[in-house]
Amino acid sequence: MARRDYVQDRESIKTFLAEFCKCDDDGKKEFVYGSQLVKLAHREQVLITIDLDDLAEFNESLAEAVVENCRRYVSIFSDVIAELLPSYKQQEVHAKDALDVYIEHRLMMDARTRNPMEQRDERNAFPTELMKRFEVGFKPLSTEKAHSIREVKAQQIGKLVTVRGIVTRCTEVKPMMVVATYTCDRCGAETYQPVNSLSFIPVQECPSDDCRVNKAGGRLYLQTRGSKFVKFQELKMQEHSDQVPVGHIPRSMTVLCRGEVTRMAQPGDHVLISGVFLPMVRTGFAQMIQGLLSETFLQAHRIICINKNDDISDKECELTPAELEELAQDDFYERLATSLAPEIYGHLDVKKALLLLLVGGVDKRPDGMKIRGNINICLMGDPGVAKSQLLGYISRLAIRSQYTTGRGSSGVGLTAAVMKDPLTGEMTLEGGALVLADQGVCCIDEFDKMADVDRTAIHEVMEQQTISIAKAGIMTTLNARVSILAAANPAFGRYNPRRTVEQNIQLPAALLSRFDLLWLIQDKPDRDNDLRLAKHITYVHSHSKQPPTRVKALDMNLMRRYINLCKRKHPTIPDELTDYIVGAYVELRREARNQKDMTFTSARNLLGILRLSTALARLRLSDRVEKDDVAEALRLLEMSKDSLNQIHEHQKGHVPNTSDRIFAIVRELAGSGKAVKIADIMDRCTTKGFKPDQVDKCIDDYEELNVWQVNMGRTKITFM
Amino acid sequence: MPCNTELPSSPEELTNQDSARWKELLNDSTKWHSIPLLNHTPLHKLRDQGLVRFRGMVQDMMDPEIYLERYEVKSADGSTRLQPGKYRDCLRLGKDEQLDYQAESNVHGERRTLFVVSVPGLNDWAKEHEKLCNPQTENPTSQQTGVGNGIKRSLDEQEDMEVDKADESSGISSPKRQCVAVEPKAETTASSSAVLGTDYLLNSPLPDRPSMACMIKVYEDFDKYTLNSLMDFVGFLSVDPALDASTLDVEAMRDVESLSELQAQNPSPFLIPRLHAFGVKSLCHANPLLDQSLQQPAIPELGLTQQSLETVHKDLRMLLKLCLFEDELAAEYLLCHLISTVYSRSEMQSIGKFALNICNLPKECMQQYTTKLYEVLELLLPASHYLPMTLDTMNTAAFAPKKDYETNKLVSGLLQLAPHTHLLLDETRMQQGKLEANGVHAIQHLANLINNQQLKCDFQYYQIDYNVDIPVLVLSEGRSMLPSDFVLPINADGKAVELYEESLKAALHYLQPARLQQFRNYLTMSRITQFSVSEEHTEMIQQHFVDMRKANVKSNADDLHGLLVLSRLLGIARGNGALDKETWHLATEFESKRRQRLQALPKSSVPMRN
Repeated sequence: MARRDYVQDRESIKTFLAEFCKCDDDGKKEFVYGSQLVKLAHREQVLITIDLDDLAEFNESLAEAVVENCRRYVSIFSDVIAELLPSYKQQEVHAKDALDVYIEHRLMMDARTRNPMEQRDERNAFPTELMKRFEVGFKPLSTEKAHSIREVKAQQIGKLVTVRGIVTRCTEVKPMMVVATYTCDRCGAETYQPVNSLSFIPVQECPSDDCRVNKAGGRLYLQTRGSKFVKFQELKMQEHSDQVPVGHIPRSMTVLCRGEVTRMAQPGDHVLISGVFLPMVRTGFAQMIQGLLSETFLQAHRIICINKNDDISDKECELTPAELEELAQDDFYERLATSLAPEIYGHLDVKKALLLLLVGGVDKRPDGMKIRGNINICLMGDPGVAKSQLLGYISRLAIRSQYTTGRGSSGVGLTAAVMKDPLTGEMTLEGGALVLADQGVCCIDEFDKMADVDRTAIHEVMEQQTISIAKAGIMTTLNARVSILAAANPAFGRYNPRRTVEQNIQLPAALLSRFDLLWLIQDKPDRDNDLRLAKHITYVHSHSKQPPTRVKALDMNLMRRYINLCKRKHPTIPDELTDYIVGAYVELRREARNQKDMTFTSARNLLGILRLSTALARLRLSDRVEKDDVAEALRLLEMSKDSLNQIHEHQKGHVPNTSDRIFAIVRELAGSGKAVKIADIMDRCTTKGFKPDQVDKCIDDYEELNVWQVNMGRTKITFM
Repeated sequence: MPCNTELPSSPEELTNQDSARWKELLNDSTKWHSIPLLNHTPLHKLRDQGLVRFRGMVQDMMDPEIYLERYEVKSADGSTRLQPGKYRDCLRLGKDEQLDYQAESNVHGERRTLFVVSVPGLNDWAKEHEKLCNPQTENPTSQQTGVGNGIKRSLDEQEDMEVDKADESSGISSPKRQCVAVEPKAETTASSSAVLGTDYLLNSPLPDRPSMACMIKVYEDFDKYTLNSLMDFVGFLSVDPALDASTLDVEAMRDVESLSELQAQNPSPFLIPRLHAFGVKSLCHANPLLDQSLQQPAIPELGLTQQSLETVHKDLRMLLKLCLFEDELAAEYLLCHLISTVYSRSEMQSIGKFALNICNLPKECMQQYTTKLYEVLELLLPASHYLPMTLDTMNTAAFAPKKDYETNKLVSGLLQLAPHTHLLLDETRMQQGKLEANGVHAIQHLANLINNQQLKCDFQYYQIDYNVDIPVLVLSEGRSMLPSDFVLPINADGKAVELYEESLKAALHYLQPARLQQFRNYLTMSRITQFSVSEEHTEMIQQHFVDMRKANVKSNADDLHGLLVLSRLLGIARGNGALDKETWHLATEFESKRRQRLQALPKSSVPMRN
């Protein structure tokens, strides 16, 4: 590579700073850097950040050169700015601190006493660093991708890199000397010493002409007031868990921050740091044992806390267009659902519901009232129907999650008692940790076994999304914005369809109604299903991998990222849908009264529908809830009720087939009238969990039976 | 170029020539064997910068180092020379020579440091055997380098004394003792400034069975090293006293913030030697008897033929039966447990694990029985650990590794064990009482280990799961509070209970060296055997599952997993390479017997899972 012509670069930087402008909305030109220079000149701003995107727009090769050799360009930029600043001064600047006053005095004195012919010692001249009261930082190109620490290698030394990680340690902010100023005890002359490294050797002998000529041997004393210090902080950052390859230890890196980039991050913060990767010069012991080694560090230019600033999305987490395309296929909803716990067959609707739980609905806060968006689901079922596996999978997939069993957890506290069963000699655990993952998912297995006291805590968590702790006379309320995913075993060993839900799992209705969806998972021996399961398991055992399935299960990581993306959406329910939702709810209530239902329908169901539909809209990455979303939400609700009620139908002896059931709905819809619109039928039936093709089949079947007639446009049916 | 039939004697010799040729030389097993084992050779018998070997488990991995692979040295008279820096810790400068940091010809390279500890929980017999395999070193005094001579001499004396003592008392763990023996020395030289204790620096996963530690610098294939894997490294020893940061004067260090890190990363090389590796072999098991990388002392070949395999299997089963109160079924399950290994992992499951809970131990002999049983197992297994689950242990011991950001070290825990290290949890030692936070976490870690064969390492801001392969055997009075794959209530024979002390004594007596060798080899061989299931049998199994479901709705996927693993292990134990009908039937029979026993157990007053 040919050496760059730095003199020419200086010139172009000068023009860039002076002339670069952007057009704002009104078409007015805005001098981005020019205006900042004015502020710098007036000491109203300290840090000037050069956006390399702007620089690339102005001169692409220059921007590249900056990335390649960042440190040198920092000094070039700062020299140029120092040169330009006086011309940007529009008014008299008031001194801000002691150093300003000091500099002013020296300049005045210098101007007064200085003999232009006199040769002065280099060290006695004011070093530019002392005069510069600003800092230069670079913002990397927006195309630059965040690296993980292990990707930063020796080749990147001297370059501007962006690294993603978590801060593990940071030192106090300390002053670091940039320019040391000394006065001589004999001649009174001042000497300056710029400091570039982490340590320096103080000058002892006065280099001024007086002392040198007279051999007075003046000693120098450090002047704190006249020296320039910058804030200095050392950070340690470490890789994220997702950047660590399997079986490896996370790497860490030292980051040095100076000036305005200090105090930007604290231990535990997720950060994106852009900076120059440099070798470190250490002295003392470190140098002795590491004569062969060079330590490296990142000189920070820009620190962004990711968790504080959600808008600045991390490039790494973004889905690539290819991935989005893969996800955006027609059946993406089914695919996502089947990809949940792929080793568990069937239960598609349950999985869909769990997917919605992961995505969550939208929180609402109308006038002080708080309506939660988190979806709570309770899975019930006979022992051994993969409830625990589903819970385990969800707790692994969710970014923040907690998995506990009802028996081993209590509301607050972190201790457990070991009890010995006198009869069997079994050791059991009582009570324990239920540390709720705020903004996460809390999976509680064996929910029915939970102590009543702890369940009351869950009550609060589920509706108010807070948890109250009374300890040592202090009452505090903590946020616990969690989705609860509970699994419960029936009280009598097996689910008894003759009893109500409350009786079956011995949980109070007040608690059960807080679940948006209750699901009874049944495990009936079914030859086909069993064989499929057996095939799957034997395959895994003999081939050491998951068998290839028709629908390829999505990677867990991809799912996580997609769900994250979904969570950023805040869809709203348009007004025109309100009537539809209200209508559906009224219908639900009416049905609940009429039928001998083992479940219950309350106003909470309405909120549940809203939550589910907003979650569905989120899943589509849409900002608006569509009618289809509501229909699907209603269908899920219906299916969950069905799962609880269906056993009855089996026992009644006759099972109405789908067409019969749809017919009943149509009959009801028609009421006393003779004609019904097909669109209405579709609406009503889909909310009841029927598929359009089933409705079509029913219409055709009954037309053949001459029960009704369908008009030509297939929009209306008329009873005969 | 000289024909290198001999191994390089110094790093320079190695770097001067084509490294591929040296590598080739290492493929020759006699060459490999001729290198002294650092694990079993006292430091004073080794030469600084000489070739040594170290066997152990990767406990921690440190950040990469950038070092000078080649550097220019300027001497006082202005002449310059190039000096290679690979495989070295310190600069090699003559008198009046200076390193030219700015020289164009300097080449930077990258290397990694692995913190390797000798296999944790390695049983005494395995250690003994490894020691026997160690080639005798020639007297090194004539070759000793000038560096740090004075310090070494005094160290030698002290160590010699220690060795003698150790030999007198037991002679078994002498290498460990030497390692510990350095401790007072290191501390005296470090005067008052030593902040970090020796135990902390050595970082043994099992504190009561301290390992030896070594910092291994590797120069290539960085990604092939994973945490907790077993490796045999060959490289240059480096014990320059200048590498010790514990002798630093704290006052003189202005940069106090990172002092403890500096000390932790640069411990005394006499405590933790450095080794610059250029040859590596990964070990698939810790059994030294079957290790190709060890020079086996001349013993009669113990090739296991099909026939002898059957007799060994029978003998071993008989032995285990003797130890388990004459319970045939328990002996079968325990044998399966002893040869179990995780042979495949898919997203959620680790397949092949065989966590066994032997419960219903007769109350009258619980006090000593568990430790006595462990004594037998200890003789059979190359690496194992007995953990009494007392409340105190649970509440105080460190189970999972935790990152210490002060020193940038992964502080080890009890569960950081090499693959195939058996863990025997003795729940009969548990009392009623209160589990503190640490205890609750410990139970969680154990449950996670049993269920997923994964170990959660705590990095404070997040946790990372590491795959492990630690077979867990839980002995308990009632059913264990920990999960397990197979719960087997023991059916103790009344007479055997009375005579259990005698039977265990007889078992120990029965285990003569030759027979022990057979058993040990048999167990390790079985563990690494391949096993297959034919198409035809797969269908049979599938049909069986469907029928099983019809007969009993409660049976589920886990039962099938269990049956598959059990039949595989039963097959392997009998020396079969593939599943046959008999084995499958045997497995189903055993499982139904086991279920019957479970049914017969007194029902707990609290309803239990599973």
